[in-house]
Amino acid sequence: MIQLLSYRKSLRKMSQMQLFFSCVCFHLSLSVILCLQSALVLCMDVGFSMSNSEPGQEPPFEQAKKVIQKFVQRQVFAENKDEVGLVLFGTDGTKNRLAKDGQYENITVHRHLMMPDFELLEEIESELQPGGQQADWLDALVVCMDLLQQETMGKKFERLNIVLLTDLNVQTSADQLDVIINSLKKAGITLQFFLPFPLDGEDRADGGGDGPGPSAASARPGKGLSSQQTQGLEMVKNIMTSLEEEDGLEEVHTFRDALEKLSIFKRIDRRPMAWPCQLTIGSSLTIRIVGYKAVTEEKVKKSWTIVDAQSHQRDDVKRETVYCLNDDDETEVQKDDTIQGFRYGSDIVPFSKVDEDQMKYKSDGKCFSVLGFTKQELIRRHQFMGSQVVKVFAARDDEHAAVALSALIRALDSLKMAAIVRYAYDRRSNPQVGAAFPCIKEKYECLLYVQLPFMEDLRQFTFPMLENNKKFTPSESQLSAADALIDSMMLVEKDEDGESVDVFKVNHIPNPQFQRLFQCLHHRGVNPDDPLPPVEPWLKRALERPQAVSARCQAPLQDVKTKFPLKVVVKKKEQKTSADVFGSSADEPDAKRVKVDEEMEFNLAEIAAGNITSVGSVNPVRDFCALVRQKTVSFDQACQQLTHRIEQLLGNRSPEYYMKSIACIQAFRDQSVSSGNAELFNSYMQSLKRSVPDRNLQEFWDLLIQDALTLISKDEVDGSTISKQDANQFLAFEQKEEVQAAPVQEDTGDVDDLLDMM
Amino acid sequence: MAEWRQYYQNEDDEVEEDEEDSGGDYKISGRDSLVFLVDASKEMFIKSEDGETSNFDMTMQCVRSVYTSKIISSDKDLVALVFYGTEQSKNPRNSFKHVYVYHDLDSPGSQRVLDIDKLLGEKGAQFAEKTIGSGETSLGEALWCCSNLYSDIKLRLSHKRLMIFTCRDDPHGGDGAKDRQARTKAADLKETGVVIDLMHLTKPGGFDVSLFFCDIVSPPEDESELGLQIEPCRKLEDLQKRVRAKELKKRSQSRLTFSLGEGVNLAVGVYVLARTATKPSAVKLHRDTNEPVRTKTRYFHAHNGGILLPNDMKRAQVYGKKQIVMEKDEVDEIKKFDDPGLVLMGFKPMDRLKLHHHIRPALFIYPEEEQISGRSSFAGSSCVFTALLLKCSEKNVFALCRYIPRRNTPPRFVALVPQREELDQSQTQATPPGFNVIFLPFADDIRTLDAHVGPTASDEQVDKMKEIVHKLRFKYKSDSFENPVLQQHYRNLEALALNMLEPEPIEDLTMPKVQMMDARLGPLAQEFKDLVYPPDYNPEGKPAAKRKTAESGGGAAEKKPKAEISEEELKNHVAKCTLGKLTVPVLKDACKQFGIRTTGTKKQELIDALTMQLSK
Repeated sequence: MIQLLSYRKSLRKMSQMQLFFSCVCFHLSLSVILCLQSALVLCMDVGFSMSNSEPGQEPPFEQAKKVIQKFVQRQVFAENKDEVGLVLFGTDGTKNRLAKDGQYENITVHRHLMMPDFELLEEIESELQPGGQQADWLDALVVCMDLLQQETMGKKFERLNIVLLTDLNVQTSADQLDVIINSLKKAGITLQFFLPFPLDGEDRADGGGDGPGPSAASARPGKGLSSQQTQGLEMVKNIMTSLEEEDGLEEVHTFRDALEKLSIFKRIDRRPMAWPCQLTIGSSLTIRIVGYKAVTEEKVKKSWTIVDAQSHQRDDVKRETVYCLNDDDETEVQKDDTIQGFRYGSDIVPFSKVDEDQMKYKSDGKCFSVLGFTKQELIRRHQFMGSQVVKVFAARDDEHAAVALSALIRALDSLKMAAIVRYAYDRRSNPQVGAAFPCIKEKYECLLYVQLPFMEDLRQFTFPMLENNKKFTPSESQLSAADALIDSMMLVEKDEDGESVDVFKVNHIPNPQFQRLFQCLHHRGVNPDDPLPPVEPWLKRALERPQAVSARCQAPLQDVKTKFPLKVVVKKKEQKTSADVFGSSADEPDAKRVKVDEEMEFNLAEIAAGNITSVGSVNPVRDFCALVRQKTVSFDQACQQLTHRIEQLLGNRSPEYYMKSIACIQAFRDQSVSSGNAELFNSYMQSLKRSVPDRNLQEFWDLLIQDALTLISKDEVDGSTISKQDANQFLAFEQKEEVQAAPVQEDTGDVDDLLDMM
Repeated sequence: MAEWRQYYQNEDDEVEEDEEDSGGDYKISGRDSLVFLVDASKEMFIKSEDGETSNFDMTMQCVRSVYTSKIISSDKDLVALVFYGTEQSKNPRNSFKHVYVYHDLDSPGSQRVLDIDKLLGEKGAQFAEKTIGSGETSLGEALWCCSNLYSDIKLRLSHKRLMIFTCRDDPHGGDGAKDRQARTKAADLKETGVVIDLMHLTKPGGFDVSLFFCDIVSPPEDESELGLQIEPCRKLEDLQKRVRAKELKKRSQSRLTFSLGEGVNLAVGVYVLARTATKPSAVKLHRDTNEPVRTKTRYFHAHNGGILLPNDMKRAQVYGKKQIVMEKDEVDEIKKFDDPGLVLMGFKPMDRLKLHHHIRPALFIYPEEEQISGRSSFAGSSCVFTALLLKCSEKNVFALCRYIPRRNTPPRFVALVPQREELDQSQTQATPPGFNVIFLPFADDIRTLDAHVGPTASDEQVDKMKEIVHKLRFKYKSDSFENPVLQQHYRNLEALALNMLEPEPIEDLTMPKVQMMDARLGPLAQEFKDLVYPPDYNPEGKPAAKRKTAESGGGAAEKKPKAEISEEELKNHVAKCTLGKLTVPVLKDACKQFGIRTTGTKKQELIDALTMQLSK
């Protein structure tokens, strides 16, 4: 239960964090065209008291440094356009505009307002050191205000913010407090405090029961705050409440809280784009609307560029694409000599770009036209298509449109119906058919638009029935075991007030892909020679089943385990040959084989006529065998020609060609054995094996394994340097490796089992 | 659709990043094949009493629809059309009498569709009479001929199906020898993996399957499968549905372990039941010969011209003015969190699944019981799966899982929504039993919007709208809309392939039927407008306010003054890394100014190009 509490707490924190973020960053109102950013000054106390700590605890200085580090990291990876400055106080030196006559001493403007970059990160890492002095935090605040005012002059900023990180353990002159508060208000500067301890004592006392481990480590033990700190706290409260009234105190955080919140890299900010359009019903009823993408899968913004391994220069790598015919010589063709075509079933129809553009479907521009209305239950949730949900509002500041749309939304809502609409984003984009559902919230109303499938998108598969099937029908006791399991694993719980609370909100979890990517990028950026770090523990935890649920479901899971006879069936891998895979032998076992052999014989007869001079691509096996027989070229040369063809075939990476390649390799092997020359074959196979991962040929290799086309061993050819055992291992080893490396997803069932067995 | 990606994927396009699962990447598993074996006897051409289409005509319509849908969805599949009981004979070796191979086993193309068109309708019947005629029947010969069609195929076939369309339950009229031969040949076919289905059509007095055909058709694939269709098909729609349901071999996208925890694991297959069908990408052809060309991509060193192997290259990204370099392997490793599979997190009531939490089309899972080609699986999976399905559905909950579809792929959370089997009136499965897999958004996927808040409608206004909604009701069916873009594309190709003057017109089902709607609404639309809009309000007008200010600001304000920016300013931006603050048009102008040719138009690409130029 304790764990659950802590879990819940962290959830609460996450939502707080989002609040915090939305404060730090900003959300543009859409009508504003100008790009507005925030300017922010990080103001950190590096005075000597910050380095004091109880034994075994991290000094406040280190904690504050981490907060700053994480914050800057986040800004860098979010490619946020906010400008950030860094002011340190309690430094041994003094460097600021206001320093004069012994005033504002020991305050250093470390970095002026600019967009944060890796340099700043590195500076914080290496240059941010504890100072030996103490400075008045109110003085530092004034320096920050001055910095903001000076450096934002003439530029437009949405928000000005100062973040103070201090332990308040210094004598402060409060006489100017009112003046400071007034000028903060006047300049519209907001403040945030980060302290090593919570704002009020009660919280500090509660803090202990709050989480697992060394909880409340940040709070000073024994509640013992110095008189300066107590006085400082009062001033903080005073400032914050007079700046923002009641909510002000929410902008006072502890270091520990901040660290947890900040360890989540901020998502890359996207400004919602407004899509103004008209909703139409029939020819005469029109409502002005605006749509916004509300939910859509966010992708990583930056892609990887390819650089030279030595110079790390992007310009050193040039990419070239050539076109070539599918003939023996892979004749290159100029790009200008190619035209575009499309497949229509078995035909390829030449169809130039110009023709295509002229003949293609033309839509008449953006639209949101109602085709009709239907019961919501007829629209299946699992048939939602596309990758987004659009929220549709009435046009901004158009109250007539708002009323009209509201009438539609409310009518649909009370009838439990939805509108089926034709949606086209603009003239160039393809039209969609989708559903607009009514959505009524406390604060606003809108339509939710989701794309629905076209007939062409659907696949009608039938599956054997599961219920009423003797084999699969679960018994009563099995059903009750499943029932108990579900009950024990509910992720929605009642809290103290009887409200049900969702303890695992996916939409509050940051996409782990981004978090992990930025973690690795940051690590590599700061430590270019280190290996990549492991996944951060908090992220791992966020992806696991909540511990409380795990604990609760133990017994029911055991019950399921005993009630259902789940056996891992590991069937010995059937001997599958490539012929099997290609469907020739399994079906007509012998007849076909004979036929092929006959064909071969027949062809050999033809060969005897002696018109084969090189290994062609049509029937490389026949040509190769002929060449070897005729001895018109050396065995080496014949083999070389054959391997050239094999390489060419493998370049196509498609099953028809695989089959041909296998036949080539088989022939290569047979001929090598019969001519007593193992060297060429073995070395070719070894190099082929090495190239498997890079060329993505696992599937092909798999076929080789099934056909047992391994190296030629000593037992077969005297000259071979390969022992029988090595030859066998050549494939056996590879089998395991294939398990590791093959990206072919269908193998997964297999792989897990193999791993289990090992 | 599976095949599209497979065959059209541009081999040269090295996908750099984030090959998110967007298409059905099926393992190459061979082609499906389908043979239509159609009875051409006189009985097939008899029109039903009420003057509806003959069985033959219905069958041809059905075959045509399979052809055209195959062309669009899986054009690599092989299809054949064979008539039996014909007067004329035509088959590869002409060794079989009264068997007419109209289309050999091959992938369907435009010409084939036209060939079928010739057999449609009244004229079609006459044409059929002339070309194939009706004669003696020997199903055995016909089946033998079909088995030759299969054995002539050199390609690897993953799924072989033969469908017999007939309205005669006793084709040989009691000729025991012929019956016996047919049974033997059917057995031979089945032995080679061909599944034989009967699409029996209406016959006066009823079609008695047990007379003869029960020995011909394949037994149900599974004991549980809805055995033989007892009712004959009366309507084209039913027939098409039945054919379509059979025609596609269901193929799982992947097979995964579904872990409930504590080592309780099931094996499930993941299926794609809906995926956006797109135009296949263009094929490059040689101008002179119309021969397809391949592309090869090479990387080489800019200075010494040497070919670069994968090991000679690394990956890089620039953040905060710093280039961060990684190996290709590391880039993959970053995406690895766990092994592929589904891991159960817990359960939630259905009402916690929000309508607007949608980011991609759903998948479908079904238990894997049988071993397929020697893979191991978990026996008993189906039983646990069924128990969970029943209980989830009964308790109205969904299962929340972590889903990793394949190696080196970051996890996503999914909701497994129970779906019990439903049959339609014709006893065909309408929805299969299993769990729908709904993808859930992460925090990053949800955008913050500031909602427009406006006045709300009065009851009177809402009631008027209810009347409107009521007038325009219809029953939505997911397969009732065709994609006009795709349809047009294929009509165009068809027209070009067959030298038609212009493509057949398509019916754009996505367009509102405005006239009909207006007629149904009658005065309601005006009444509603009177209730919500003031007389002088024009909802079709552009947002008036903004335009006016622009115009009143003088003619010059029509176009924004060109945002020129000095080199100095730019350099300043580069130094401070604030280029991102400029707008795309400004950046583009700047690029032009410096004569930088940019390949892309994305903001980041423009910034990168400028940064490179100016920091030289």
